[in-house]
Parts: sequence; C-alpha cells; structure tokens
Amino acid sequence: MSTSPPLNTTPTPAPTLALEQVHKRFRSTQALRDVTLTVPEASFTVLLGPAGAGKTTTLRVIAGLDQPDTGRVLLGGQDMHGWEPKNRNVAMIFDNLALYPNRTGYQNMASPLRIRGEKPEVIREKVEAMGKTLKVLHILDRLPRTMSGGERQRIALGRALIRTPQLFLLDEPLSSLDAMLRIELRAELKRLQRECGATFLMATPDYTEALAVADTVALLREGQVVQLAGPQVLYDLPVDREAARFVGAPQINCLPARYVPGQGRVEVAGGSISASPALAQAFGDAETLFELGVRPECLALADPGDASLRGEVIDVEPLGLKSVLTVRNDAAELRLVVETAELARRGVAVGRSQGVTVANPGALLAFDMHTGLRIAPDGDAKAQ
Amino acid sequence: MHAKKLSPLLAVVMGLALAVTLFPVFWIVMTAIKPPTDWNASPAIWIPSEPTHINFLTLFDPEAIGAYGVGGVSQSATKAVWGSVRASIIATALSVSIGLLSAIGITRYGNGSKIAPLVILSGRMFPPAAIAVPFVIIFSNVGLTDSYVGLIAIYAAATLPFSTWMLKSFVEDLPREVEEAAMIDGRSRLMAHLTVTIPLIRGGIFATTLFIFILNWSEFMFSLVLSYTNISTIPVQLARYVTATAGTLYGVQAALAVLAMVPLMLMGYLIQSHLARGMTFGAIKQ
Repeated sequence: MSTSPPLNTTPTPAPTLALEQVHKRFRSTQALRDVTLTVPEASFTVLLGPAGAGKTTTLRVIAGLDQPDTGRVLLGGQDMHGWEPKNRNVAMIFDNLALYPNRTGYQNMASPLRIRGEKPEVIREKVEAMGKTLKVLHILDRLPRTMSGGERQRIALGRALIRTPQLFLLDEPLSSLDAMLRIELRAELKRLQRECGATFLMATPDYTEALAVADTVALLREGQVVQLAGPQVLYDLPVDREAARFVGAPQINCLPARYVPGQGRVEVAGGSISASPALAQAFGDAETLFELGVRPECLALADPGDASLRGEVIDVEPLGLKSVLTVRNDAAELRLVVETAELARRGVAVGRSQGVTVANPGALLAFDMHTGLRIAPDGDAKAQ
Repeated sequence: MHAKKLSPLLAVVMGLALAVTLFPVFWIVMTAIKPPTDWNASPAIWIPSEPTHINFLTLFDPEAIGAYGVGGVSQSATKAVWGSVRASIIATALSVSIGLLSAIGITRYGNGSKIAPLVILSGRMFPPAAIAVPFVIIFSNVGLTDSYVGLIAIYAAATLPFSTWMLKSFVEDLPREVEEAAMIDGRSRLMAHLTVTIPLIRGGIFATTLFIFILNWSEFMFSLVLSYTNISTIPVQLARYVTATAGTLYGVQAALAVLAMVPLMLMGYLIQSHLARGMTFGAIKQ
C-alpha cells in the first residue's frame, strides 16, 4: 500500500478507503496503534470491538474530526491530510446522534442538502422519500426533544443517508433502539447499502450485528486491528482466544488441554476426546499443553456410557428452541447449546449427572497457552 | 412552569432573605426622593414626608439643589452617564466577542491542558488596586490616560477572564458532535461555529453579556485613576458629590445610583427568557 500513487491513473480503482499505519494518541492513552485497513467500494465493513477499542476514534480520523499522529487516510486514493471534514465527502452518524436540537426532524434531515445549495423542491422530495423509508414522516415537523430515542435515531440515520457520499461512517447507529427495531433496521441498513451500492463502515460492539450485516469485519482491540476477515471466518477461525470469546454467545469454552500424540487424543476436562485431523496436523508428534476452544454448539448430550466427558448439570437456561446447559466436573465447567426438546427426552435436570460428547470435532480450536493465539494446522501459531 | 406552594418555614426564610437583599434598594430609592433635610435626619426618616425630584434635577442641573440652600455641586452628571454608557457597551462587546472566540478555541481546539484557562484567569488574581497604578504609568507613557480608548481597553482586558470562563462552561455543555455534524454536513469549521455553536449557546452569551456589563458599569478603581477631565463614569461621578460646604449629598448620590440601576434591571428583564438552560436537550441520546 505504501506505493499507492496519488493520482487516479492506476488501472485498478483505488479502494474507497485505505488507512495506512494510523497512530493516534490522546494524552496518556494510545487510542489507535498501527491501524491499517482497506474498505473496497460498495462493501459493508464493520469495526467490531468492545468499548474503548478505538472504533469511534477510527471513524473520527477518517471523517477528519481528529487528526492522526502518524499514518495516512486515503479516500478514493487521495491522501486526506489537511482536508477539512466538509471536503471529504463522507457522511457520519454519531454515537450520540448529535441532532440539531433547535431544528425540526425535517430541518435536520434537510441540512446536508441545504448547505450544499440544493433547490428547495429537490430537498422536499428527498426528505420525504427518506422519511418514508425510515418511517418518520409523522415526526418531521417535531423538534428532537419531543421524539423518542428510536425516532431520534432514525432522524440521524436519515440525515446521513440523504446524501450520496463516497463513504458512510456509522458509529453504533442502532445502539439505542429496542431489540426488535434494531434487528429490523439493521436488515434495512444492509438492504439500503446493497441497493445504493454505497460503501458503509460501521462501528459496533455487538458481534451479532456485525456478523449479520458485514462483508468484512475488522476486529479492534486496544486500538489495534487484530483480525480482518469475513464474518464466518471470524467466527470459525478467530485469531486468538480473546477474539473467540468476543464473538459468539454463549461464550466459547476455553479449557486447558493436553495433546497426546501416540493415540491422537486430547485430554481435557477430566476426560479424553479424539483430536480432529486439523489438530493432529497442527501438533505433529509433540505432546503439547494448549487451550482447547469448544463452541457451545459443538458439544452434544450423550448417554453416560458413550460420553467422552461427564459432569453434573448445574444450570439450565431455556431459550425457546434451544437451551443453554452448564455442566461441571472437578476439572472444568462446560457450556453447551442443545435442542430444548432433547432435555425432556433425556431427562436432563439440575443436579443430575450428564454425559457430554463433541459433536463436531472439525470445529475444535486450539490456542497457545501463553500467547492465546490460535494454533493453525500448519504448525505455526501465527495469526492468519 | 407551575407555581409551587412554599412551606410556611421556607416562606419565612425566603421573606427574610428578600428583606435583607432588597432593603438597600429600598433605602436608596427612598433617599433619592428625600429633600436635603431628610437625608441624614436622626432618627432616620424611612418614607420621605415630602417626596421631591430635586435630586434627579441636580444630576443634570447642578444649580437646582440651590433651592434648598445647598451649593457646591460643580459638575453635571451627563458626561459621566454617557461615559459609562459608551465605555460599558463597547468594552462589554469586546470582552464577550473575544471571550467567545477564546472559549471556543480552548474548548474545541485546545490540547485539553488546564494551564491556558488558568493563565487567562490569573489576570484576575491580583487586586485591581495593585495593577491600577502600573496601568496609569504605562498608559500615561502611551497617551491612553483620560481617554475612552484606554478605559475601554482596560475594561475589556479586566473582564475577559470572566467572559472566557463563563462562555467556556457553556461551550463545554454543548456536545461537540453537534457542531461536528454540521462540519460533516458540509460546513467549514468557522461556519459550523457560527451556525450551530453560537445559536445553541445564545442563552449563555446573553447571561455573560449581562454579567460583564454589570462589572463594567459599576467599575470604580480603574475609572477613578484613569479619568482627569476628559472622561468620567457614573461610579466616579458618585464619589464627586462631596462638597466642602454641605458635606456628602446623599440624595443626589442616591438619585444617580437609582438612575444607574435602571438599564441593568431593564436588561435583566429583557433577556430573562433567554437565560433558560437545557437548550441542547434532544440533541443526543437520553
């Protein structure tokens, strides 16, 4: 990327956004470390990370509201150094919405068009069309303080989506909505993005939201991009233990384990399971202590006779179709997700002893005991 | 806005507080309409027996009080009133404008350090009397003594720390994302502040303006040491109503004081509807 030319004379079009080794420090906290990220045109990229991971800072640096200490921000191949936000042709939805409190819903949504000198009739047409899409026609003449949280959120969405910038920056745009509306609107967002062929970069701390809408997820932690991958890859092959824990609920089981090379088995949780071919390949002939990552849905109930692991059921959380079970023995505590119907069939209840088996050995993950990095089949523990 | 019923105890406490606060105002107004014989009568006369407007007349016609056999007033207050009006309005406008710029600058474009605002405030950490004399010496070297330019300059400088700090708190209350949204929507930084920041802290600007105006309007020390013959202000003029023959002309002083209160009360009344806070409610989540 360091050789990317300043002019658009390249045969391949420049990505809509490229961040190159961006560093940003606020007084005593290093907000961004070496963030390098490319967002191709017409894609939906999600910045996923917990609070304080640097999601908002990344968006602000792209918008030009904060300046990177070092590194470059390129929009459409153009280095943005010294460019004011208004010239960057990006739209942004703020975490706290930041509506103009003294202007009506209509005026809020019309603002970007009005500033750009659009004709009043064009503005009216666009605002009304957008109001219809976002189902806010009835609140267009009200002030933000008289709107509900969800209504404000949609007005803020409208103010950003009414333009056709080269890049949309969305900072937790759905965070204050109730669960159902949230799911509805995120599907709507994805549809809007696909239909307009727009480029979206959205920040969220919610992995389900990220997996649901993203083409690519950039996993951020302490100001660093720790993994850049498609949503399924992020789930199936997390870069490290932390990533595996952050993505997925109930949380992945992480258990100290020992690989026994001769038998191709893994001793874990007071029992023994057979190692998947991938694990066997990763460890080769060496007996290795590692941490085994087992997604709760990779475990299944088994008759005590056939079970590779055993324990006492200490918690049953029915969630409708599925239930979350917690099983504990002297060595470990396991969470597993099973069909609720199966609980009755097997007579599972809190306090009873229960056998557990690995249903999907291919999905087992191995993490290095010390670094926490996922151990890949080719033997090295490097992130891919 | 519904009136709340006061509990009896609270009503008594409030009544006492009001009495203490308003008594000087009452006394000044009463003195302003007393004839010279009542000014320092003993026992005190609370309500003048024969209200008169002679004290007010004397402000603009020094000979008027002669009707009561009191003399020695040398100068009409006209010049002082206009001097105060001019100096206070211009100095307040300067102080609030510059204060607004520095408040936005410190809050939005500062490095977050607390040192700059403290340095700005440090100008007020000296008693005015301590810096008045140096200012007289400096000003006489550059020809600014006894001129409104000099007086306005020092008024603006002396109140700038207050306007900066007051406005700073209002700018801080406004979420910066609101003006950043305007920048994203296509405003330049300057225009974002002009069209978003300033309208949204309008109430704060009014409150600051009133406060700074009061400071300038009632300033005495600098005005006293910087005025000889060309300039005057109301507080300085108040001190001039001491005559060799009749002592202090309390009634005339009170009349001028009452006159000086009028614009302040008028301003306070006119802007009170803008003083409400919570202008930004609805801008952000919850």
